[in-house]
Amino acid sequence: MINLLKVLYKKEVMDASRDKRSVVAGLYYAIGAPLGICILFTLLLQQLASPDALKITIENSLSAPNLVAHLKNNDIAMATDNTDSKLKPIILQISDDYQKNMREGRPATVTLIADKSDDKLRKHIQRVEKTLALYNSEVASLRLITRGVDPQLMRVLAVEVNDQATPDSKGGMFLGIATLSMILTVFYAAMNLAIDTSAGERERNSLSLLLSHPLSSLHIVLAKSAAIATFSMLGLAIILVVSKFSYGMVPWQQLGFSVTITPSFMLFCAVVCLPIAFMSASLQVFVSFTAKSFKEAQSYVTMVLFIPMALSMVTTYDIATDIVQWLPIAAQQFALMEFIKGNPIPVPQLVLSTLITIILFGVFSYLSSRMLKSEKVVFGL
Amino acid sequence: MFGLLKADKGTAEIDGIDVAKNPMAAKQNLGLFPDPCGLYERLTPREYITFFAQLSGMSEIAAKEATAKVLEKLSMDDIADRRCQGFSQGQRMKTALAQAVVHNPSNIILDEPTRGLDVMSTRILRELLLLLKAQGHCVLFSSHVMQEVAALCDHVVIMANGKVVAEGSVESLCERTGKDSLEEAFIDLIGSDEGIAA
Repeated sequence: MINLLKVLYKKEVMDASRDKRSVVAGLYYAIGAPLGICILFTLLLQQLASPDALKITIENSLSAPNLVAHLKNNDIAMATDNTDSKLKPIILQISDDYQKNMREGRPATVTLIADKSDDKLRKHIQRVEKTLALYNSEVASLRLITRGVDPQLMRVLAVEVNDQATPDSKGGMFLGIATLSMILTVFYAAMNLAIDTSAGERERNSLSLLLSHPLSSLHIVLAKSAAIATFSMLGLAIILVVSKFSYGMVPWQQLGFSVTITPSFMLFCAVVCLPIAFMSASLQVFVSFTAKSFKEAQSYVTMVLFIPMALSMVTTYDIATDIVQWLPIAAQQFALMEFIKGNPIPVPQLVLSTLITIILFGVFSYLSSRMLKSEKVVFGL
Repeated sequence: MFGLLKADKGTAEIDGIDVAKNPMAAKQNLGLFPDPCGLYERLTPREYITFFAQLSGMSEIAAKEATAKVLEKLSMDDIADRRCQGFSQGQRMKTALAQAVVHNPSNIILDEPTRGLDVMSTRILRELLLLLKAQGHCVLFSSHVMQEVAALCDHVVIMANGKVVAEGSVESLCERTGKDSLEEAFIDLIGSDEGIAA
């Protein structure tokens, strides 16, 4: 049996590796995903480090020269030209009695007119509100000092935050996205090969010839899954190497954390993802055989891959209930995140989810081998 | 016979082995030349034939030796190490045929083996089938070319609409219908010229 499996596996790998378009298409994801994430985060960090100058309309600005100067110091300027591209539809209306109220120490009305339902405008509105609040407290403190009152009286609590996070553990959200991209590689890197070796093999009429030889359908399914898993692991190796170098180039220190892909993490990731690669391969073979044609299989496999993606995202965005945290993919991804953060690995969850993953591999393989005994499946009837 | 289709009724035996009860053992004694050929486009004929020889139970070394022999026998050395993609119909047929006979099975099933073959290849195939017959192999093939059947077969089974309408030697079928050729006898037996067009 082992010899037969070896012969079948060798042929599957040889045949698949010569299908260069499928191999390269799968590996594009492994190379492109970490690079795309890096570019995205670099741009985001640049924006955070030096926010763009904001221009708004200030009506009756002459009544509040100090306020206008304060806003300007915080890069919020009054637009002089209505066609200015940086001008946002935010209007700050200074009331006519502003100066009188200020003089008399009464609240001077300023009205902020903007559409808060506009997602793109929201952060700018918040920025103006924050700057106004800062001006408010600064002027209030000065008023208290002139009246001989210590402004510290206004502080009831002195909240001190003792952040115990390490630089590695701070990047939770980012690490979620990074590990999500790694787990998805295991599913996507060999997707085309999985469809080609199952639905494609049937369309080329070689499946029935294969089955006419003295070997069981389980041999065929296992060899195919092993070959697909090999390419998935190759995709994983590539994404790990590309991640190691590309994540090192993003200026994470601006956010106060670091992301280091160490060789021990790479090894741990490979061990954790190996059962997932086998399960993913058997799932894709099973789904491809249920389809009647190559194109149909492509649609079904893409749809089915939403399940692991959803499980992985549940962990990434930390919306997992206690039960979900024990499920395959979700638990394995959580373990990867904990490892990279330097926290203790949740061993019971990892062991159980790995066991379930292996059982799923067995179930999908068995179901596929059963299907290959049906003439409808073998001949695509 | 290969266990791919389930029989509505009846049984099939290969060398005394019931194919439904012991498919693995039955398949060991079979070689199949299918229609369509079922080639792996990205493999070369040498790799393709060696792969199926190994699946039929041969060791890697024995499979390679047997492949080299069958490639030589079918005059395929010029295409042996080219990938099957872009092969002519004749080259495809030869590759599939080599796959069917490489492990020297006692029984060989061929589904319209001469379709698309050029004159020389058809002649080689005929010689090969006669050689296999002389070596004691049982060769079962389907064909619509009556000259080919008359030249090769000891026993002919004529089927129409999925049913056996006559069987026997070429001579006995001609004698039974009072015709001079198998083609005339065939038309007479199936009752129309449908079989020719099929």
